[in-house]
Amino acid sequence: MNLNLRFLTGALFMMPVMMLAQSPVSGFMKVKGDGSITASFSSEKYDEVFLVPQKVDGVPVFNEVKTISYSLYAEYGLSDNFNLVFNLPYIKSEGQAIPETLENTGYENERKGVQDVSLYGKYRFASKATPNGMIDFIAAAGIETPLGDYRVDEELQSIIAIGNRSTNITGLAIASYKHNNGIFATGQIGYSLRSNDVPNALLSEVKLGYAASKFYLEGYVANQLSDDSGVDILGEGFNGFFPATRVNYTRLGFNAYVPVYKGLGVSGGYSNYIEGRNLGDADGFNWGVTYSF
Amino acid sequence: MKNIYKYTGVALAFLGAVLNTSCETDSAYEDEPASIAAIAVANPDFSTLETAAVLGDVALTLSNSNSNDASGDFTVFAPTNAAFARLGLEEATLGVLQQPFLKSTLLYHVSNGNLLSNSTTDGVTAPSLLGPTRRFIERDGAIYINGSEILATDISASNGTVHVIDKVMIASGADVVQTALALNDANVFKNPELTFLVAAVVYADLAGALSNPDASFTVFAPTDSAFKAVLEAVLGDDYTGTTDDIAKLDMVLGAGTVQAILLNHVFADVSEGKFTSELNAGTYDALGSDDITLGTFTDGVLSVSGSGNTAPANMVIPDVQTTNGIVHVIDQVLLPVL
Repeated sequence: MNLNLRFLTGALFMMPVMMLAQSPVSGFMKVKGDGSITASFSSEKYDEVFLVPQKVDGVPVFNEVKTISYSLYAEYGLSDNFNLVFNLPYIKSEGQAIPETLENTGYENERKGVQDVSLYGKYRFASKATPNGMIDFIAAAGIETPLGDYRVDEELQSIIAIGNRSTNITGLAIASYKHNNGIFATGQIGYSLRSNDVPNALLSEVKLGYAASKFYLEGYVANQLSDDSGVDILGEGFNGFFPATRVNYTRLGFNAYVPVYKGLGVSGGYSNYIEGRNLGDADGFNWGVTYSF
Repeated sequence: MKNIYKYTGVALAFLGAVLNTSCETDSAYEDEPASIAAIAVANPDFSTLETAAVLGDVALTLSNSNSNDASGDFTVFAPTNAAFARLGLEEATLGVLQQPFLKSTLLYHVSNGNLLSNSTTDGVTAPSLLGPTRRFIERDGAIYINGSEILATDISASNGTVHVIDKVMIASGADVVQTALALNDANVFKNPELTFLVAAVVYADLAGALSNPDASFTVFAPTDSAFKAVLEAVLGDDYTGTTDDIAKLDMVLGAGTVQAILLNHVFADVSEGKFTSELNAGTYDALGSDDITLGTFTDGVLSVSGSGNTAPANMVIPDVQTTNGIVHVIDQVLLPVL
């Protein structure tokens, strides 16, 4: 069976969604002049937090946190081997602090706004046919920087901050194997340099999937390991500034995509944390509509 | 073909490397001790303490090592949710307290260094970060700090030691009169309390005596609602519900009545103020002509009655440490036979 290349180049990887969910850069390339635009919605919730040394029940102050985001995501092929990837999320984060605590602390149960814009360039520097498929080697580099004026310096209020206000410069190395029967596997590893006292982080992701003409399915494990320069929440060095915390996680997710009509398709996905450090144990759903051209 | 295998090999090695780094594991830190603040957050029995630490602005202090002690450690006597609930305090009600008072109260539960259970024996005293010392008392095989029973000891944290206690400890840092005034002036609760007691002490000209820095009183301090109940019963139609009613007592019951009643709220022995943990059932001489009768020591408190009370009073805020004695706030006025 041959890969439906038009399908793959046109429709894939429409779900960058949440800030932590998965890498915005996929192992697939768009050919020159092709692109896609995805509008997505995601919703996640947590009432447990990965602290050191243990996961605790109940988010301090806010009890439970629900985050929804709307993202605009686009990919475009400047050439067959060089693509641009763009993402911009709007995020609303809602806590469930009781009214008395809000009154006593002056905190609010909601923080929202445009978060960080990101732009990546990805370059396929090698591609090799194998007996039953193909391997691509891709290098990607990108920048993420806050676009909205959201705040992160509100002490414990910032438990529900929508981001870190850091500018990140990230380099990624990607290897992607596509078998002719539609099965594919992608691995990527990279390093992200981060400002605003956010610890730099080693990023990696493994993805397995199946792409056919009528549907697309993938499962992934995404991982972040922050430098140990970061502090633990409520640990030594913690001064209430959450961006400086050492956030590690392993996240497991699934996504599916179905083409609907011409260039239009819809996607849905689920993700959850398996393990983490200094972040909420969120599980979440995402939905998207993609237009490919 | 050879090239293909080479690329495949490179790809597999790459995938292997990714897989290897792709699992965050907790094994690296699950054995790390939690900070005192993290222990409070992780334990559902300390949820009120957690909120109090946030409101009282000590959560970050207790996350970090103690820069004021060579050991880098703190010792915290941590009241359980039940301890706060004795005072009607939980997350939703902590706002009845003034924030500076809440912070002071929390600091009274903290000391520098590691104060381990093998050193907290009967008679030992230990300073708090607030300043006033606490004293350890042995009773029936249990160790108390002031009037609070230590329920669990020596919980080790990354920045010190936690002991669990069954009552919130309170120290005013002022004498008996100034302590009552602090409540009267809404510096403790956001709403004034003990306003009738303060008015009565001033009216009966006892403020000077109760300010004696060389004394160590044991005082039973009736709440405003306790005074109002008596005033309403005695004054009938003349009752207004204001502190002006205090003076009317003397008009109805005879000059000197207010002073006599107040003196019946203080132990005659003014050499050492007593915490609940040091009190037993029985009859005690008062400074006034009546006696004070205590019920049995039950769940950390004792009932209190004068000879004229039909039912004994309960301690609503026991064991308030002042600079010249211990105050137990009670829910009835101790009455002589009127």
